[in-house]
Amino acid sequence: MVLVVLDHDGNKLRKGTLEALTRARRLAEGLGEKVAGVLLAEEGAPLEEARKYVDILYTATLGPYTAERWAAGVLAAAKEGAKAVVAPSSRQSRTYLGRVAYALKAGLLEDTLDSSLEGGEVHATRYAYLNRVTQRVKAPLPVVLTVKPNTTPLAEPLGTSAEVVPLSVPQVPTVEVLERVAEEKKGVSLTEANVVVTGGRGMGGPEAFKLVEELAALLGGAVGATRAVVDAGWRPYGEQVGQTGKTVQPALYIALGVSGAVQHLAGMNKSKYIVAVNKDPEAPIFKHADYGIVGDVHQVLPALIEAAKKLKD
Amino acid sequence: MDLSGATLILDQMDEYAVEEALRLKERHGGEAIVVGFGPERAEEAIRTALAMGMDRGVHVVFEGFADPVAVAEALVPVLQEEAPTLVLTGGQQADWDSQALGAALAEGLGVPVVAWTTAIELEGDTARAKHDLDEGAEWVRVRLPALFTTQQGLNEPRYPTLPGIMKAKKKEIRKVQAEVRPKVVLLSEEIQEKARLGRILDGKDPVAAAEELVRLLHEEAKVI
Repeated sequence: MVLVVLDHDGNKLRKGTLEALTRARRLAEGLGEKVAGVLLAEEGAPLEEARKYVDILYTATLGPYTAERWAAGVLAAAKEGAKAVVAPSSRQSRTYLGRVAYALKAGLLEDTLDSSLEGGEVHATRYAYLNRVTQRVKAPLPVVLTVKPNTTPLAEPLGTSAEVVPLSVPQVPTVEVLERVAEEKKGVSLTEANVVVTGGRGMGGPEAFKLVEELAALLGGAVGATRAVVDAGWRPYGEQVGQTGKTVQPALYIALGVSGAVQHLAGMNKSKYIVAVNKDPEAPIFKHADYGIVGDVHQVLPALIEAAKKLKD
Repeated sequence: MDLSGATLILDQMDEYAVEEALRLKERHGGEAIVVGFGPERAEEAIRTALAMGMDRGVHVVFEGFADPVAVAEALVPVLQEEAPTLVLTGGQQADWDSQALGAALAEGLGVPVVAWTTAIELEGDTARAKHDLDEGAEWVRVRLPALFTTQQGLNEPRYPTLPGIMKAKKKEIRKVQAEVRPKVVLLSEEIQEKARLGRILDGKDPVAAAEELVRLLHEEAKVI
């Protein structure tokens, strides 16, 4: 079987899960194997939805997320004969699957752009060197493969409802979760968003990000920030895009008051369209932009919001 | 990518790990050891960590390409020999863009991993740590030994001082020949810069420029 980790928010499967399912089905087809899902939950999970996408569904309720519990859950399902484990790529999945890959002595193909079965081995492409180089890699089975968001068509339901098999997951030494610090959740997640609107130091201060949020909300996107901005405490670290932050690849990336340092470009240079607004015509970001406006962001941003509103009406 | 002429330096994410090890040592005592994996000339990066203040080094020597799980397998016996209380490593490697090394090492060592850590406080034989999740963050308590992956926000790494650099030259670096069983084969690498349109508008009239930009994004790029 090819095992898919069905990531979800407690109520429904995440978009990235549907991408991972597409990749898993391609591998399973080539191998003549079934597609199994593993649905791990802290409490609730979208059981009925998950049954529609796989041939067999392994489930376990494990309590608060920790890398050890999730690795144990995936391993319990993988023991049933997984030739490949496929999951949507996120910081959490790339952590617990690091454990899983080591335990299975598997080739780990992280954050892949695509993948295929060739001569019984899994070939994949992925970015390396801070997103600047495209690598082609291959690994024999078994493999553990994570799927970069926004790279793959979403899977459709199969039109069947899979048998549900509860897993017996062993207790493992792990961390004790003391307190969750919830991030203010506004709209879509940064790494999965189709549109990202990022503010840089040129925004001048935290207040100006109200407008960044407004434009992001209008376009159905997420807010990003540069390192200078999060270091200054204007925005949370979770919003940082770049070498030491998150890597995004949306259809549209709007950089407002961002100069375009190499470290920032590393986190967004694969976006389909890049838009820059900066008052300095020499700012490096313009060399990487599809569209741009040389002008004062404090005047251009409100005008952009008005123009986007008009378009919506 | 031909790296034979490149200088191998301490990974930026690993700098946070070195700094945290030094701070923990300064506060609680103990020994701070830096372990490096790579070809002979990677010794330079280990020397940098020694110049920052690490006590001694272990260099696991390997020429060639190794995937993160294979690297972890090579490092686990070396780490077991040193029996560390805490293992710290960068959250992501800048060459392979991998986030797996810390977790794979933790699995090999049989200890919990705290990923993307932004705070560590030692309390007896446990640590309280704050770390990032996909959404938000959390405080955890973990019994030691444990592994932490480090990132920006944890600390501000120090620069090596001149006396530090001088001292580092005399510090011990133990050499270990690595046993590596690669699981992933690198087929090719290509630098691909996406060609950009470069249609930059003059923003002297912000309203007109904004309207034109929105029109282009809607009608030409069709992304909004």
